[in-house]
Amino acid sequence: MLIRRSRADEAISGTADASRHPPDSPARARPTIFASDRVFKYAVITPAIFFILLIGLYPFIKLLLTSVQNITMFQDDTSYHGFIHFERLFSDLRFWSSLARTFAFTAVALPVQLILGFLLALLFVNRMPIRQVFVAVLLLPVVISPIVAGATWRLMFEHRFGPINQIIGWFVGEEVRLLWTSDPILVWPAILIAEVWQWTPFMFLLLLAALSNVGREQLEAAELDGASWWMTFRWIVLPAIMPVVAIALLIRGLDLVRIFDIIWTMTRGGPGTMTESVSIYAYHMAFREFEISYSAAMALVIIVLLTVLVVAALSRVEISR
Amino acid sequence: MNRWDHGWRFAVRIALAVLAVMFFLFPIYWLAAISVKSPSEIFAHPPIWIPSSINLNTYGALFRDGDVWTVWNSLVTAGLSTVLAMIFGTMAAYSIVRFRTGGPHLSIWIISQRMIPQIVIAFPVFLLFVAWRWIDTYHGLIALYTAFNIPYVIWMMRGYIRDVPIELEQSALVDGLSRWQVLWKVIIPMTRGGFFATAVFAFIFAWNDFVFALILTRTDVMTYTVQITGYFGSQSTFWGKIGAMSMLGVLPMFFVVATMQRFLVRGMSLGAVKG
Amino acid sequence: MRRMLPSTATGALLSVCLLATTSTAWSQSAAERAVEAAQEYSGTEITVLYEAGLQALDASNFAAERWEELTGIRVNVVESPVDEIFTRIMQAHRAGTASFDVVNVIPNQMPDLAMSGALEPLDDYVERYDYAQELELIAPVYRDNWMRVEGTIYGFPDDGDVLVLYYRKDIFEDPENQEAFREQHGYDLAPPTTWEEYREIGQFITDKYAPEVYGAAGHFQPGNFQYLVQQRFRDEGGRFFDPETMRATINSEAGVRAFEGIRADLEMMPTGVEQWGFVENLNALLAGDVAMSITWPPVGRWAAGYGAETDALDWLPESQVSGRIGYALPPNGQPELAVGWALSLASTSENKEAAYLFMQWMNSEEVSLERVQLPFTLRGPFRESHYQDEGFRNLWPDAGDYLDTLWEGAQSGILDLSIIQIDRYEEALRQAISRLWAGDDIQEILDDTAEQWDALTDRIGVDAQRRAYEDWASKPNAYPTQ
Repeated sequence: MLIRRSRADEAISGTADASRHPPDSPARARPTIFASDRVFKYAVITPAIFFILLIGLYPFIKLLLTSVQNITMFQDDTSYHGFIHFERLFSDLRFWSSLARTFAFTAVALPVQLILGFLLALLFVNRMPIRQVFVAVLLLPVVISPIVAGATWRLMFEHRFGPINQIIGWFVGEEVRLLWTSDPILVWPAILIAEVWQWTPFMFLLLLAALSNVGREQLEAAELDGASWWMTFRWIVLPAIMPVVAIALLIRGLDLVRIFDIIWTMTRGGPGTMTESVSIYAYHMAFREFEISYSAAMALVIIVLLTVLVVAALSRVEISR
Repeated sequence: MNRWDHGWRFAVRIALAVLAVMFFLFPIYWLAAISVKSPSEIFAHPPIWIPSSINLNTYGALFRDGDVWTVWNSLVTAGLSTVLAMIFGTMAAYSIVRFRTGGPHLSIWIISQRMIPQIVIAFPVFLLFVAWRWIDTYHGLIALYTAFNIPYVIWMMRGYIRDVPIELEQSALVDGLSRWQVLWKVIIPMTRGGFFATAVFAFIFAWNDFVFALILTRTDVMTYTVQITGYFGSQSTFWGKIGAMSMLGVLPMFFVVATMQRFLVRGMSLGAVKG
Repeated sequence: MRRMLPSTATGALLSVCLLATTSTAWSQSAAERAVEAAQEYSGTEITVLYEAGLQALDASNFAAERWEELTGIRVNVVESPVDEIFTRIMQAHRAGTASFDVVNVIPNQMPDLAMSGALEPLDDYVERYDYAQELELIAPVYRDNWMRVEGTIYGFPDDGDVLVLYYRKDIFEDPENQEAFREQHGYDLAPPTTWEEYREIGQFITDKYAPEVYGAAGHFQPGNFQYLVQQRFRDEGGRFFDPETMRATINSEAGVRAFEGIRADLEMMPTGVEQWGFVENLNALLAGDVAMSITWPPVGRWAAGYGAETDALDWLPESQVSGRIGYALPPNGQPELAVGWALSLASTSENKEAAYLFMQWMNSEEVSLERVQLPFTLRGPFRESHYQDEGFRNLWPDAGDYLDTLWEGAQSGILDLSIIQIDRYEEALRQAISRLWAGDDIQEILDDTAEQWDALTDRIGVDAQRRAYEDWASKPNAYPTQ
């Protein structure tokens, strides 16, 4: 249902490029407001580039400038101060631990989502009554706002009025009052559950599409040859779905690195700074403490770090050329 | 593998499927239930799973106190920014596909813009908007959403435009249409499915955004996501309002899933996986 | 100097009374003057920033409608959680947006906001609309500490906040309990005067009544609780800074004692109480689930069942304890004058005259008297006349006791710490509290907090901060007298 047309390999390398022989000299019957294609091609891309510069170039320049000034809540000192903020950042333990925390959480959440998504996809890849309805329901979490997802799980985890502790209580046989959003042992698992709830369906959706595209003939041939389940998986299924897995990991990984919303509604980074992600810390310094220049330095470091990461990842995975 | 064995495995699969669906559906049910519970049911201990009656007072309060205005703000900013991003993004995509404008690196650069943390973009934009007095204005938020969505639109429309047979365009040009007319009279009608799907995803992004709205709005243009977080006060938490406002934000998305299932895979995988 | 105060206050009072009686023919009240002057701005709109939740009902359920009726000026209410009020005002100021006209300011943050230019000086307005005399009638502790920054008026104290102890008289006065308690502890069962007694009494009640009734509960979410922590720390003899070096001394033995005491107190309270906010605590007290609670003034009104029929309070459970709640000062007798609110004028306002007049009208003798008696808001009495008002004293049978306790607290109460960039020091304190609930090592928490404070002080400048701190610490209500 979801996959009809394409095969996975084609999906990854992009469809056959129709512009392989671009019509560089098309017939022009009448003059247009665009004197030529040459003007036209730049004219139509200009507005978009203009907008993209607002997020692609301007921030970089602005941050560069601001980071060597000294603007704080109380002073607008725009004279040159050198790299004092970078020095401070270098020794700012809270920054580095928020960064480490963010990557650690990504390293845990990503495989969990992938594996659960894969298992779900296996479950649904074969025929089943009202499969389409099931799949549609599974997809709901993906399209709702992470803010709403966080709020929902905070309701679920409420220690007295939420159903989670109640359900645990049924199994334990006595009332439990686990403080999911403030107990240091439980708070990361709570966020993980919410995050996994929202994004496992994303993995599921992509992997289901990939699995549906695995060649039926190959699978049947393998079965005839008496290959074990593992052998079939390892040598036929895995290579076929690997490109999709890579893309799914890339997209989700980059989302996880900038995680903000779901933590914001569930814990706001607490208790203490235990669940403070790097985005939340950056927000805190910029908009609660108004350490404008210091935040600029921090944002710059994040941009550089992430750009390297994104470019490296994109060129490895090659979403599409 | 006998028949019985087969039936048994089938039953297990169905059971697991039902369990999975329950896990993913239950929190949304709980949200919906909270939104129609009476205050005493919300604060009941142990929690009540099925509200005794449908109590719409919380929704009434949202309308009465003007809180739904924030839903309207989300609609306006997400809607208009989607329109702008679709227009400019499709134009740019056409240029990139048909004329290879900017070469291969431009595309990678464009899509990478979407992957930088929002907070890092929002912060310098905040400083800029302060200078321009664009904070807490519709045009400010719309401009940023448009900027953030254009890379996505370019990226997606690139794929859809490539699928349009080049011969169609050539014959249109021979018939005397200008490039500009080809774009709107040939390309967009030919890609309308993908065009519409891309627009929906761009809309979802802006509709669900929190960070940009948190930073760039104050009161007049506050969106529903920011409003929801406002109900988590330090003085008290308004669970009913959180539930009701969340439902208002979620319901349109249900509609999206119901109608857009065909395009979900391609839209969410940045076009890499085609459904 | 201190001895002179009462006589000047009486003098001022006397002269006002004289004026009021002799010149009724020409003088209107401050409220009437405000209304009259404001009619010029009919058709405009002002935006008022309130703490989210109940505080905001003050305007949205009462003042906004009345003011619009009187003057034709629309009032738009915007809400924000208490620990973000400062940020919201600063953000609006930094962004240069006219987001708010009138802002509710937490008085210990007023110096920061005034110094950064976010607030408008009010002296000229006060003079122009002849408000000085009524302003003087605000209870001294609020008037002298919550109104001016370096001699300039930046806000009108508008909420006489003080943390008082509410306790269950029926449990405390039960003869059986009295006897058992005396036998066990060797002193009478009465409102505790030390924190040790507080814990012992609480434990005694929990042992006997739990899970039906627990000894005590409170609002322990860091945003609300940090004020009581400031009090507890000073009750233990703590000083925030070394006045010479300005190094933080929050991690002193007094700090450790305070934190250990707080953590130990939890043992006699309901499980999960760490997550309670104001309303959770209120619910528990009203439901009769707790015997003692240290909290803000309005709780006393609701506990007495006052305002039970108000629509705006339909979410509150009916008080099961009306007539059974006693009022006392918290242990050590010098309660925290926690938070409090002042009405200030945002410097970015584009409708300053109308906004100011709204403030004067709200804050005036007669309108404020109505507001502090509104069943649904959180405003506590803050004018001498509020405490003495016969109507107020008869709102419910114990209302007189209630007002006397608040008045007593307003005399002996101690102020929230107020120094440069206080919100950031408090943020560190809030984090410390959430770590306390998370179970971290106390000395470690406090050392980290002190380190954060020192880093802040160094960045702000030791000398500048020392001046601010000395100025604050020299106030009679900065540190307990015993």
